[in-house]
Amino acid sequence: MSALTREALEAIARQPAAGPAEWIRVQLDTGGIAAGAEAVHQALLHARDMHHHACAVLRAGSVGYSFADPVIEVQAAGMPAVHYGRVTPEMAERVVREHCIQHRLLDNHVIATRQRALALSGPVTHLLIRDTGPESGSKTDFFQFSFGEELKRCGLGERIQVVRALDMGIYDEGLVVQLLPGGVTYANVLAPDVARIVAESVQGGRVVDDLLWKKADRQVRIVLRHCGNVDPDSLDDYLKRAEGYQGLRRALEQTPDQVIAELKVSALRGRGGAGFPTWMKWQLTRAQPATQRYVICNGDEGDPGAFMDRSVLESDPHAVLEGMIIAGYAMGASKGYFYIRAEYPRAVERMERAIQAARERGLLGADILGSGFSFDAKIRLGAGAFVCGEETALIASIEGRRGSPTPRPPYPSVRGLWGMPTAINNVETLACVPAILLKGGAWFAGFGTTTSKGTKVFAVTGKVRNAQLVEVPMGTTLREIIYDVCGGVFENREIKAVQTGGPSGGVIPVKHLDTPVSYETLQQLGSIMGSGGMLVMDKTDSMVEVAKFYLKFCVDESCGKCAPCRIGGYQLLQILDRISRGRGSASDLAQIQRICLAMQRASLCGLGQTAPNPVLSTLRYFGEEYQAFIEGGPSYARKVSRAATAASGAAPAAPPRAAPDPRGPVAATGTNPAAVGGTVS
Amino acid sequence: MTAVEGSSRTSELARQDESALLDLLQELEKRHGFVPRQVSEEISRLVEVKLERLRRIQGKLDSTIRRDVQQHVAQWRNEEGNLIMILHAIQNQHGYVPREVAMELSRELGVKLARIYEVITFYHYFKLQPPGAHTVTVCNGTACYLKGSGELLNELRTQLGISEGQTTADRQFHLDVVRCIGCCGMAPAIVVDGRTCGHVKPSDIAGHVAAVKAKTGGAK
Ligand SMILES: Cc1cc2nc3c(=O)[nH]c(=O)nc-3n(C[C@H](O)[C@H](O)[C@H](O)COP(=O)(O)O)c2cc1C
Ligand code: SF4
Ligand code: FES
Repeated sequence: MSALTREALEAIARQPAAGPAEWIRVQLDTGGIAAGAEAVHQALLHARDMHHHACAVLRAGSVGYSFADPVIEVQAAGMPAVHYGRVTPEMAERVVREHCIQHRLLDNHVIATRQRALALSGPVTHLLIRDTGPESGSKTDFFQFSFGEELKRCGLGERIQVVRALDMGIYDEGLVVQLLPGGVTYANVLAPDVARIVAESVQGGRVVDDLLWKKADRQVRIVLRHCGNVDPDSLDDYLKRAEGYQGLRRALEQTPDQVIAELKVSALRGRGGAGFPTWMKWQLTRAQPATQRYVICNGDEGDPGAFMDRSVLESDPHAVLEGMIIAGYAMGASKGYFYIRAEYPRAVERMERAIQAARERGLLGADILGSGFSFDAKIRLGAGAFVCGEETALIASIEGRRGSPTPRPPYPSVRGLWGMPTAINNVETLACVPAILLKGGAWFAGFGTTTSKGTKVFAVTGKVRNAQLVEVPMGTTLREIIYDVCGGVFENREIKAVQTGGPSGGVIPVKHLDTPVSYETLQQLGSIMGSGGMLVMDKTDSMVEVAKFYLKFCVDESCGKCAPCRIGGYQLLQILDRISRGRGSASDLAQIQRICLAMQRASLCGLGQTAPNPVLSTLRYFGEEYQAFIEGGPSYARKVSRAATAASGAAPAAPPRAAPDPRGPVAATGTNPAAVGGTVS
Repeated sequence: MTAVEGSSRTSELARQDESALLDLLQELEKRHGFVPRQVSEEISRLVEVKLERLRRIQGKLDSTIRRDVQQHVAQWRNEEGNLIMILHAIQNQHGYVPREVAMELSRELGVKLARIYEVITFYHYFKLQPPGAHTVTVCNGTACYLKGSGELLNELRTQLGISEGQTTADRQFHLDVVRCIGCCGMAPAIVVDGRTCGHVKPSDIAGHVAAVKAKTGGAK
């Protein structure tokens, strides 16, 4: 294919091509595929052909609704696009026949849009309803019936469909109703309101103000802007439908210094953990005299249980690549490396294809877009060592050596890969860059707090009702993320703490849930922002066990190069193990503090320096749990471990308030009163 | 024919030959009280022939290994720091890094074998033992851990009689632990021969193991 020119890109920007009018997008990321999205994709293709329907069945990445995998999005003519979750291959035929052809939505699978309107935009065609109250959706059926009856009474029964939704994005607000198209949403709807909603909104076209849900969605999608909307394997899709490489075009029209200045205005800070200002890192690398400079994208995502970077790489690889090319231009680097975990084969594959396609169209290689700037990118695979996320270890690994960290300084911006100045940026950091160039640094800095600008992606998992990817402006509180976006805690148990930052982070107890998220606030609480893992823990989780889990991880992953980390970590683990078996002594706590201090002070790299964080923060906020183990002795320890087994044994059940899961066995346990009751008592 | 089937067939062939010969010798000894000279000469001739054949096989093995390694190296020849990427390619092909291949690689790259092993042993991803015919992987990322992956692992340990990182004596099962396979929404998750199963309960484990065993039985 011929190389793109600047003029061609400009033409695309002026007139983005319209895609097919009717389509079904299947979200094929690792999570979706594990849940069976490939089979769903096949079944949809088959069903479409069977019905001789014209809609395109497309591939996409993930929007982030992990709790509802596999997810599809359906756009039928004259209807708003609708997300369906927990889709099965068996449903495919109904999706095509009922949704695409008859324009009727399927019960129990719709994920309501979070873009809620405050005014009606046109005649209502569908009502989405769901009981979000604590009685496990029991009122949904009743309201579906009464809305249906009321509509029939008004002669609208044929024209307007009442649909039971899977998820409304609003939680513990009684019965929630969303009017489609548009997305006007009512919460806490009671039986007498049914007639009002039908008369006022459906027939009268007016909004019922006292029921209206006015809270805007907490999420702002900058990093995830195209995730789930574009085909990750199609450069064309990215170019034509996602303003692809327009940020690069803008960058190449400016001088490198101007690009760095724009980044400075945006105040973007590294999303990989430490939060170092990105513009400064680029500036330092640029200022270093050298014949060759390198950009590295850190896609090693070592935090176990976090999947932001994987999701971005799999769903929107071109955005990260575009960010890297811009970074290369800004700092005068002509080579870039993606360091991606080998455990993420799909991310690797898609990035490989993205690089290949970009090369074919002249977006990589010599004289990019006629600017005289040349750049090429390559992929290097990680090989299962957490410490390789650390900058100097990562460089050693790309050089083909053991990933042992080396002392800094010299910093990589001075002496990095092959001894040349090198800037290492996280996946999410790079994904922000094209948006900043396109919309301006000031726009980006409009989100967030005074010191932390923009948005942050979190992978919220653990005992949360809806595990998912969340992108919120900095400064959003933990409570808003967990309760407003993710629906609160599993099975309505009480939340105990939130862990952020993975093995390098700490726990934040429930009393600090109203803390606005930023680099500084989390640090003050003894945790870190980290790369964005957020683990919700409820009252049944033992903090001593959690601390042990993370510490064990760090001990397993220690490269063993320096003694404080190698020996200190091991000893710490021994003490924790002793305590958790009820064989600890009072002096152990002081000993823990001493070892932690030594590790923090004397370890060579970030792994050893931060490994004590989970231990110290649990000790700080949940010291009484350590005490209880020490005072209670072995019998207490056994009791705790039995209780934990009982709790997690019932935990795999589906969240009770989700719609019945069509996959059978999960639904069976989800609605099994014994299973739920067993954990409450 | 899979690699495992292949190796069991070759050892079967070798065994048959030998045992037939031993049987014959025993019978002759019983009948004559000693092994006649013609027979012993014939046997040493046969052994020579067999040795020659084995040498040819060895040569063939060597040359295929050499060719393979050369191919991998050629692909990465001009790349700096290519060792890890070549090891990935080798592991993708064999499922682990066989010793002979590592030795050949050392010759081909002109890098000391010790340095290659230094790298292989540092990274958890590289394996030095051939994998089992079936792999069961338990996710022990934080989301799965919180939802009880520990009990799944315990259950698998008892069912299979091995701990993580090990392969059963019959080479049928390999048990592995990984950190986050990217479906935290379905935690706790396990992967059985590439198929991901979510929301797994300890009581489900027996079923999954039985299903794999049934599959193996059916294939034979
Ligand atoms: C032990 C350790 C593990 C790390 N793991 C990661 C990781 O998985 N991903 C990442 O982006 N950064 C990781 N980092 C941070 C990187 O070293 C580095 O600070 C970051 O990639 C810089 O990019 P940023 O400025 O865009 O954040 C890790 C650091 C340490 C000490
Ligand atoms: S702190 Fe730990 S991981 Fe880092 S260099 Fe020392 S031993 Fe290795
Ligand atoms: S932690 Fe198990 S899939 Fe993510």
